[in-house]
Amino acid sequence: MSRRRVVALFRRVVSEIRRDRPSLALLFIAPIVITGLVTFILRESQAPQVTAVVVNLAGPRGQAVGDALGAALRTGGATVTDVADEGAARASIADTSVSVGIVLRAGAATGSPLDITVITNGLDPSGDAGQVAAVQRSVLAAVTSASGTAIPAIDHTTVYGTPTDDPVTNFAPAIVAFFAYFFVYILTGVSFLRERTGGTLERLMATPVTRGEVVLGYTLGFGLFATIQVAVLMLWALGSLHIGALGPLPAFSIGLGIAANGSPILAFVVVVLLAVGAVSLGIFLSTFARTELQVIQFIPIVLAPQFLLSGVLFPVSSLPSILKPLVAIMPLNYAVDGLRQVFVRGADLGVPALQLDLVVLGIVAAFFATIAAFTIRRDVV
Amino acid sequence: MALLAQMDPDDVESPPAIRAHGLVKTFGALRAVDDVTFDLAPGRIYGLLGPNGSGKTTLIRLLTGLTLPTSGWAEVLGTRMPSRPNLGRIGYMTQSDGVYAALTVAENVRFFGAAYGVEGDEPVGHALEIVDLADRRSSIVGTLSGGQRRRLSLACALVHRPPVLFLDEPTVGVDPLLRVQFWAHFRALSDGGTTIVVSSHVMDEADRCDELLFVRSGKITARGTGQEIRVRAGTADLEQAFLRLGGNVEVTR
Repeated sequence: MSRRRVVALFRRVVSEIRRDRPSLALLFIAPIVITGLVTFILRESQAPQVTAVVVNLAGPRGQAVGDALGAALRTGGATVTDVADEGAARASIADTSVSVGIVLRAGAATGSPLDITVITNGLDPSGDAGQVAAVQRSVLAAVTSASGTAIPAIDHTTVYGTPTDDPVTNFAPAIVAFFAYFFVYILTGVSFLRERTGGTLERLMATPVTRGEVVLGYTLGFGLFATIQVAVLMLWALGSLHIGALGPLPAFSIGLGIAANGSPILAFVVVVLLAVGAVSLGIFLSTFARTELQVIQFIPIVLAPQFLLSGVLFPVSSLPSILKPLVAIMPLNYAVDGLRQVFVRGADLGVPALQLDLVVLGIVAAFFATIAAFTIRRDVV
Repeated sequence: MALLAQMDPDDVESPPAIRAHGLVKTFGALRAVDDVTFDLAPGRIYGLLGPNGSGKTTLIRLLTGLTLPTSGWAEVLGTRMPSRPNLGRIGYMTQSDGVYAALTVAENVRFFGAAYGVEGDEPVGHALEIVDLADRRSSIVGTLSGGQRRRLSLACALVHRPPVLFLDEPTVGVDPLLRVQFWAHFRALSDGGTTIVVSSHVMDEADRCDELLFVRSGKITARGTGQEIRVRAGTADLEQAFLRLGGNVEVTR
């Protein structure tokens, strides 16, 4: 292993990326825009607007209950109107002028409670659940005020960190890890494919350069950009720089200001290990691609399962048990978990779960670096 | 050895720069290189002549150790190939340009120089001087013409001043003027002691070589100076000679 040759390879990779503006944009601007957008959507999502119609089919008793429900719903900010029959209610829900219908019917036996049917649109399950929940709350409020008993308040505390209303805290680690993995893979895969198809690899292999030196040079070169990318992304995610009003410009702040409990340096180590694995994965998979399009075609095979099974979108604990063994072999899973350990749990190096994440990421990086080296010149010892 | 001694008595003393012995390379049923044996003397220009697909590139890849022989062996400067350290004494200009389009001319030459183990500006400047690209050293390669890229590709193979140089179809896509310049460089290098193996499918380049090796279906079908081959084939036209000597394996030792 010659240090000079590795440095030469490293410098070459760096000069190539430095001149490649679209790649730089992909590395630095795209993640910032997307994390900013995701954070904005998660934080500023509108509470479901409730526009209710009440259909009373239960006479004076139903009228009293309907009035109590209506009052409770209005207290919660809903608009409530009465309509005469269920058909009219369904028509209004169908044309989306009304979000939920409440139909009150007399119970089967005399003296039994009223039957309440809730009608929703049915096109958006999570939105519908919000509408039903609003009706349930109003039922509870109506019953409470009628009986005169108060509901006990629920106080929520957490073992790690503090209960926060910011949904981004749990999501940010997954997004940071995914971007580091995704972009580093794409750039290395395409870049190495060019090396293979452009004849430069053949030429490089006709010099005293060894396969290990090529993998190391590439890892250092792309690792440098991955490191800068992660640093920028961390700064953007964790930082919050307030800019005061200046002339016609109103005051604003730069950065997502996500609360992190652990050391950003540790989080950084986790992502860099992941990115090093992604460099080797890119080199390895470029063996099986003939064109740049084919490198992109590996995304559904290699990256999509990781996206679905590594807790980026769905919590690992909620996955069907038959899929759980697969989670254990997804490198991204360990990075997402490691970052959550650091961000949410405030873990340090003494926490066994974080140790496991770091060790597995290290092994994965070493494994792919080794097989990547073997794919470079399969023909020659 | 007797034939070589008759042809060029001066070279008998010095050991061959390149040796091949019973080299065979098969790809499935195809015998791309089929039992090739030869010794090439130092300081001469050898032309590997043959049609596309005759096995010239595979033969060069075997001699440089880029691919392993199915059987037989190759030696360059007394070292059995493949040998990674020995690659530092060999220059290889591939058929494709094999240069980095995003880098500048000088960066490409410097990079390959470092890969071969030479550092600094002097070798870069020297190599660019040879191929007449010194004034384009800061140009991004992507902006160069095809001929300029070809010249850069040659510079990258020369930067470490190798005693042995393999040139795989160096003049393909090169205009006539540049072709003349290229051959002048090759001759100057060979006069300086460099052993050069040039592959080509263009017969009009053949007479610029000191010695020719006809390659057909992976075999060396004839070997000698252009004049000797003409006499042997009984024709003044090398293309005719190639066709007539195509089936004659005996001429090779």
